Formats: sequence, structure tokens, C-alpha cells
Amino acid sequence: MSGIALYHWEPNANSGKPMLALMEKGVSFDSHYIDMLQFDQHKPGYLAINPQGTIPAMTHSGAWGTRVLTESTAIMEYVNEEFAGPDLMPADPRDRWRIRWWMKFMDQWLGPSFSMIGWSVFVGPMVRQRDPAELDAAIERIPLPERRVAWRKAISGDFGEAEMAESRRRVALGIGLLEQELGKRAYVGSDQYSLADINIFNSTYSLPLSQPDLAGKDRTPNIMRWLKRVYQREAVQKTWAMGRTDLAHRYSLIMEGID
Amino acid sequence: MGAVLYHGEPNGASLTVLAALEEARGEAGAEAGGEAALGIACRPIDLLAGERHGIPGLSERVALDMGIEGEGPVLVIDGEAMTESVFLAQYIDELAGGAGLQPRDSHAHWEMMMWCRQITERLSPAAALLGNLASSQAAIAAIGAEDFAGITASIVSDDLRQRWQALHDGAIDAAQVADSETKVAQAVARCEGQLADGRDWLMGVYSIADIVTFSWLAGMALLRPEAFADAPKTAAWLARVKARPAVAAALARATVSEPLRAWAPGPEINRWG
Repeated sequence: MSGIALYHWEPNANSGKPMLALMEKGVSFDSHYIDMLQFDQHKPGYLAINPQGTIPAMTHSGAWGTRVLTESTAIMEYVNEEFAGPDLMPADPRDRWRIRWWMKFMDQWLGPSFSMIGWSVFVGPMVRQRDPAELDAAIERIPLPERRVAWRKAISGDFGEAEMAESRRRVALGIGLLEQELGKRAYVGSDQYSLADINIFNSTYSLPLSQPDLAGKDRTPNIMRWLKRVYQREAVQKTWAMGRTDLAHRYSLIMEGID
Repeated sequence: MGAVLYHGEPNGASLTVLAALEEARGEAGAEAGGEAALGIACRPIDLLAGERHGIPGLSERVALDMGIEGEGPVLVIDGEAMTESVFLAQYIDELAGGAGLQPRDSHAHWEMMMWCRQITERLSPAAALLGNLASSQAAIAAIGAEDFAGITASIVSDDLRQRWQALHDGAIDAAQVADSETKVAQAVARCEGQLADGRDWLMGVYSIADIVTFSWLAGMALLRPEAFADAPKTAAWLARVKARPAVAAALARATVSEPLRAWAPGPEINRWG
């Protein structure tokens, strides 16, 4: 018994990071599926675990009691340091710096742009069908003001043209930079599979489908080679089998499309 | 050629890395302020003259061109530009074989990294905005058109260039100023809460969390003293950090009389949730 319980949505973006890190380390965990599209993360049961209402969250119980850990990248770092199993950080300090740099670049610069586009075309339309009063009440329960703004925009489709254009610019630029990086090293930031690969794979695995004009065999051969290498990992396949929505299905479609 | 740390005045991101370096040098038995312990030489540059974007001899420059932190310090090793002050502090600690700036316990390490991320995501952009409006805007606005065009042409990141341009144009977003003042107050409250049990350092033992928080908050104590009025523990903690020999050595590298009032365009304000 590892004493780990993970509260997560799909193996995608932030939720997928600790799921895959735990799987790579061979750490068993109690999986609690939090349906983001049903606003499970803002309901009292989950807020008792993580009062900020963000997913994922992880609890680790042991002689010390129960620790609650939040923030997907930081959870991955904890999992890697706390448990035996393959080390998901290289030993060389410069490689470690580079991995942290890429994870921050994804978490704070590129990832939010992926997210804005994803919410405008996927999350917003999925939840927009509901009763407006029910949605209003759901938004009012969101603890973080910036998340309330994000949800209102997603539900109403109220993204400004300038901010969407900026997100598209960043996605195109970011994909280009990742392509260059993967031309220098076998994996992101080093020649070893690491937390940076887990982090970035979770936001880029569907690029050939979602951004066919920017990513694919001809335009981004280094990314495609890397995606294939990561796709083939047993832990990735086991993690993506835990998905319940079309997001996970897209993974198998891409797998079939890669030589 | 050995490693070179190109840094601005010791405040904000530059102070974080200089203080970590001095701390690691102390652990290694080198004299504070000495050169090239750990093989890293320090080289001051004028951030407001755009010198950071003209660092020579770079073969890998993505971290300089696309760093999120804005005009932070740049460590150059073998032609590779390394940025982001918290990660550079971690690099220095690990290069020294563990200079004691990061907890070894994985949960304590997680807590430290969570703290640092709160500071760099919420306090740093706020402090940089307020600090730049107070101290660097006039200097940037006074740059002649031709020189300013040269600086902006050398900046690869569109969003960092826009932050320079906003300062040059004197563009002030009142809502952003108010939000930044709130974030400074929240950071002070967070420190006061963390220190409430009488501990000397934010994580119990001195760590990168103290260094990075001091680096962005100490200048705010000069600029927004009212935010610290009901925070005696935070004020005492600021004084404790400032009195550490490594921090004093880092501050002594200043070329101006009040380095905690020296700012350069910093991180961007969070644009999506």
C-alpha cells in the first residue's frame, strides 16, 4: 500500500502529469475521477480535500498523518523524490535546470495558451448546453476569482479576438521551439526520459490532430519521433487506458497514424 | 571559458541568484564576494540599456530569448544561456553538492517549491510592475528613439518587448496597479502567517524560499511601507535575511546607492486563470 490517493480528471494536461508519474514509478494509487465537466472539483466533497478547487490533488497517508499535495508539476517532483523506482530527473545539475526551465515554460507560458484554445473549442461547448442557472450557481462556488473569470469566458464563449490570436501565436511559436529542442536532445531538456517529457507530453500528445497545420510528420519530425517514443511506453498506455472521454480516444487515433 | 553570471543590480531576480551564489560559496569555504568560486564569475550589466539581449558568444539562447521572468540574470555555460532565478538558485545549490538551500525531505522540498512558485507567479509580476513604474519608467521613457528602437529590436520575446514598450509609452493600467498592490499585501500576509509560530525562516530552515521572497519583497517595503504596517514578524524576518553575510555580500555588489529601488521589466501578469 502506497497510501496515495489521486484526485484527477482525464489523462490530459495537468491531471495526466501525476497519473503518469505515479505509473512510471510503479506506485499504486487510489484513483478518484473528478469530472471537471460536471464541476465535481467545486463540490463540497472535493473542496474538503483541496479548498482551492483545482485538480489534480493528491493525498499521501502514513505515520505522519495525511499530506495534501497540489499543483501538478510540484506533485510530480514529490512523487519522484519520495518513491523508489526509476529516477525521473537526471543527475547532472545543468540537465536538471533545463528540465525545470521547460516545465515552467509549459506551465506558465505555452500551456495557458493551449488551455485557452482547448477551453474555447472543447470545454466551453461541452458545458454550455446546461441550464444557465445551474451554470451560474456552479461558477459562484469556484473559490479562486481568476478561475471564475476563466470559466465564465469558456461557458459564454467570450474570448476576445486579440487574446485568442495571442494564444495561437504562442502555440505556433512554442511548437517551433519544442521542435528545435528535440532536434538537440533525445528527450526534452536531456537525453533521459524525465518529468519534462511527462509534463509536455500531456499537453502535446494530440497535436497532430488538434494542430495539423503546425505539427505532423513533415513539419515537426523531431516532435513526431519523440511522441512515438513516449507513446510506446507501457506506463503511458496504462495511464491513457484510464481515460473516459474522447480525449483518451484521440491518443489511439494518433498512435495508429504514426509509422 | 568558465561560467559567467550576467546580472543586474542586486534586486528581484538578480538578487536571488547572487545571494544563492554567495551562500553556496560560503558553504564551499570561499570568501564572500570572491570571484569564481564554483567556477562562476559575476559580470554586472545594465539591464535598462538592453545589455542582457546583447550577451556575446551564445550558441543556445532559447532560455534567454523566451524566459518568463523578464530581465532576470543570465548564467552562461559553454554557450548555453540559463535563466529563471529560482532554478538558477537550485542549480547553484546542486552544483555545490548541496549547499543547504533546499530541504532534502521530499515533502519539505515540495512545500518550498510551492512557496517559490506562489512568489514568482503572483508577487514577482506585481512587484516588478510597481517597482518599474516607480523607478525605471522615467529612465526608459528618456531613452532616445533610435536607441530604444535598437533595444526593442534585440528583444526576441514579443511579450517582453511589449512590457518595455508600455513603460516607454508611460502606459499605466490602473486596474493592474491596484491588483499588484493587493498581491503585495497578500504576500506580506502570507509571510506573516508563515512566521506566526515564531520560526526564524519561512520553511523552518533557511532556504531558497527566504532568498526569493526577500528579493521581491524587500523593495516593496521601501515603496509600499503601508503594506507592512501590521506585519512585525515579516519586518523582523526581512531584517534577518538582510543581515545574512551572503545577502549582504550580494547587496554589496550594487553600483547604485539603493539597489532595492532598481528595477527592470519583469515577468508578465498571468493572462489566463
